[in-house]
Amino acid sequence: MPERIITMSEALNEAMFNEMKKNSDIILLGENVSSSFRGPTKGLKDAFGRERVRDAPISETSFIGAGIGAAITGLRPIVELMLVDFGLVAMDQILNQMGKTTYMSGGAVKIPITLRAVIGAGTSSGATHSESLYSLFAHMPGIKVVLPSTPYDAKGLLTSSIRENCPKVFLEHRLLYNVKGNVPKEEYTIPLGVANTCNEGNDVTIVASGLMLHESLKAAEKIKNKVSVEVIDPRTIYPLDEETILKSLQKTGRLIVVDEDYRYCGFSAEIAALAAEKAFKQLKGPIYRLATPNTPFPFNPRLERELLPNAEKIEKLIQKVIGE
Amino acid sequence: MLVNDKFLGITSYLMSKIVLDNDKFLELYRVMIRIRTYETTLRTLSREGKIPARFGMYTGQEGVATGVSAHLKKDDQIGSTHRPVGHLIAKGINLDKLTAELCGKATGFNKGKAGSYHIFDPETGCLGANGIVGASVPMCAGYALRNQIKNDGRVTVSYFGEGGSNQGGIQETLNLAACWNLPIVFICENSSPVVQRMLGHEMDYPQLTIDNVSIRAAGYGMPGSTHDGWDVEEVYRVAGEAINRARSGKGPTLLEFKVHQFEGNLEGRLEANEKDKPFCPIDVLEHKLRIRQILKKDTEEKIRLEELELVQKAVKFALSSPEPDIKEAYTDVFGGAF
Repeated sequence: MPERIITMSEALNEAMFNEMKKNSDIILLGENVSSSFRGPTKGLKDAFGRERVRDAPISETSFIGAGIGAAITGLRPIVELMLVDFGLVAMDQILNQMGKTTYMSGGAVKIPITLRAVIGAGTSSGATHSESLYSLFAHMPGIKVVLPSTPYDAKGLLTSSIRENCPKVFLEHRLLYNVKGNVPKEEYTIPLGVANTCNEGNDVTIVASGLMLHESLKAAEKIKNKVSVEVIDPRTIYPLDEETILKSLQKTGRLIVVDEDYRYCGFSAEIAALAAEKAFKQLKGPIYRLATPNTPFPFNPRLERELLPNAEKIEKLIQKVIGE
Repeated sequence: MLVNDKFLGITSYLMSKIVLDNDKFLELYRVMIRIRTYETTLRTLSREGKIPARFGMYTGQEGVATGVSAHLKKDDQIGSTHRPVGHLIAKGINLDKLTAELCGKATGFNKGKAGSYHIFDPETGCLGANGIVGASVPMCAGYALRNQIKNDGRVTVSYFGEGGSNQGGIQETLNLAACWNLPIVFICENSSPVVQRMLGHEMDYPQLTIDNVSIRAAGYGMPGSTHDGWDVEEVYRVAGEAINRARSGKGPTLLEFKVHQFEGNLEGRLEANEKDKPFCPIDVLEHKLRIRQILKKDTEEKIRLEELELVQKAVKFALSSPEPDIKEAYTDVFGGAF
C-alpha cells in the first residue's frame, strides 16, 4: 500500500467525517465548530448541516451538559472544548454528571459522548491556556482518557472513541496538529487501552504520551549508540495498558516517566506506583519522573521552557539512570 | 403580604374560568393524593430507619408536577432535582421500583445505586433526579436537542427551584435553549419566603433580590410568567400553553410557580404548624371540587383508599426485596462489560 502522508489535524477530520457520514446520530457541538478555519472540524458543517454541526454560545456548562443529555437520549455527540482549561468552568457537568450518571443509574443509561479538547504548553499562552489535565480526568471515575500522539493513532483512536458507549475525554495536543504521518484512507480503529511500543530497547523504559512521546523519541535517537531505550506510548491514560509497561520493565529494569501534566498526584505517579507494586523485583534502581512541576505556566518563553520536559532533559536523565 | 394574597387568591380561584372537565379534575386529584400519600408513608419508613438516608420532600408542591405532567406523554422527558418524588410520580413512574430504589434494594430502578437523589427511569422519561442543585438543567437541554434533531414532537420539562435559579448552569442553559430554539419548558418552583424563614433558612443576605424569577426570562429572550403553584387548575392551564408552544417548535418558556414546602426541603427537618399550611394544593383543589360538586365524599374516600393501597403494596415490595449483590459495587462504571 502506498504511503499517504497527512497531518494529525486532517486525520482527526477524516475520522469525524467518516463516522458522521455513516451515522446520523453523531452530532458535533462547540464554540465555532462551523468555522472553515479550524483544521479538525473543517468542512463538517458544509457536509452535514448546521443542525448536526452546531455552534454553541461560550458557556461550557450548558453545551457540555447538552451533549451529555443528547447522549443519554440516544445521540452520539462529539463536543469540542476549544481548550481543556476552559473545561474547568464545567467540572460539575464533566465529573459529576458525565462521569457518574451511568453508575448512579445502575446502568439504566449510557453516555456515548466524546469530549474533544485541545491541550498543551509550549506556545507562550500562559497559565490558563497551556495545561494538559489528563491526570485530573483520569483520577475521576467513569471517564476514559485518550491522548493520541501521531496522525495514525489520532484517526484510529477517535474512530474508536466515537463508537464506544461511554464518556471519553479525547485530548489533542496543539503542537501535534501539524505533525505529519502515514494514515490509510480506509477506516480502521485502535482499541482504547492498548499501548504502542514506539521504539524497542533493552536498557531503560520510557513511558510518555502526546508531545512528550516525540521528545522522548528524539532523546532515544540521539543517545542510541550508547543506550538502548524502549519508548512506550500508552495512547490512553485510562484505561491503562499495564501489561505492555510491565513486560518492558522485565526486560529493562529501569523506568523513566515523561509527563507534560503536573507532577504531584499525576499520571507519572500512577505509572511509578504501577512499577513499584507489580515490577518491584525487576527494578534495578529508582523510578524517575520528568514532569511539569506544580507551578502555573508562565507567559515568558524562557520561563515556560524551564518548567517543561524536553528531549535534552530526557537525554540527561537517561544518562543519569544508566550511570547508576 | 403573602397572607393577604392568599385570601384574594382563593376568591379568584373560585371565580376563575373552569378549564378542566370533571374527569380530568378527578385524575389530577388522584395524582396529587398519590404523591401526598406516598411521601407521608415514606416519611414513616424513613423514621423507622428503613430508608438509609433522608430524602427530599415535595409535600405541598403537588399541584405543580401534577398540572405539568398532565400534558406530558410517556416519551417526553423530565429532569428533576434532589426532591424528585413528586415529579417522578406525576410522570408515571412505577411505585414499586421507586420505593425499592429509595430503600437501596436490588429491585430498584437503579439497583440501589441512585437513592432519591439520582433516580433515572428512561422508560417513563424520568431522566434524572440530581444531587447537585441545578445540574439536571443543562442535561435537559440535551434531551430537547435530541427531540429537535429527531423532530418527533417530544418535549422536555426541566424543574428547578428558586435557589437553583442562581446557578450559572441554569443561566447558561436558558440562553442556550433560546439560541437553539429548543423544545423545552423550564419550571421554577419558588418556595415561599415564609416557609424559608420557618426552616431557619432566612439569611442575612437574600438569595434573590427579585420576587419573581420569571422576569429573568426576558433577559434570555423567551417568555416567562409567574403563577400560583397551589392551584393545579392554573398550573394545568399555563403549562399546557408552554408545552404546546415547545411541541410546535416555537421554542422555550420559563414558568415560575409559587409553592410552599410543608415538610421542609429534607424529610424530618420540619414539623409545620397547621397555621403555616395556608396554600395546600390538595385543600384548594378539594375545595373547588366540592363547590363545583365534582367530588363527592364517597369518591374522595375511594380515591384515598386506592392510593393508600397502591403505596402500601410498593412498600411491601421494597421491604421484601433483596439487597444488591456485593459485586454490584463495581459494575456499571462504564456501562456494559469493562
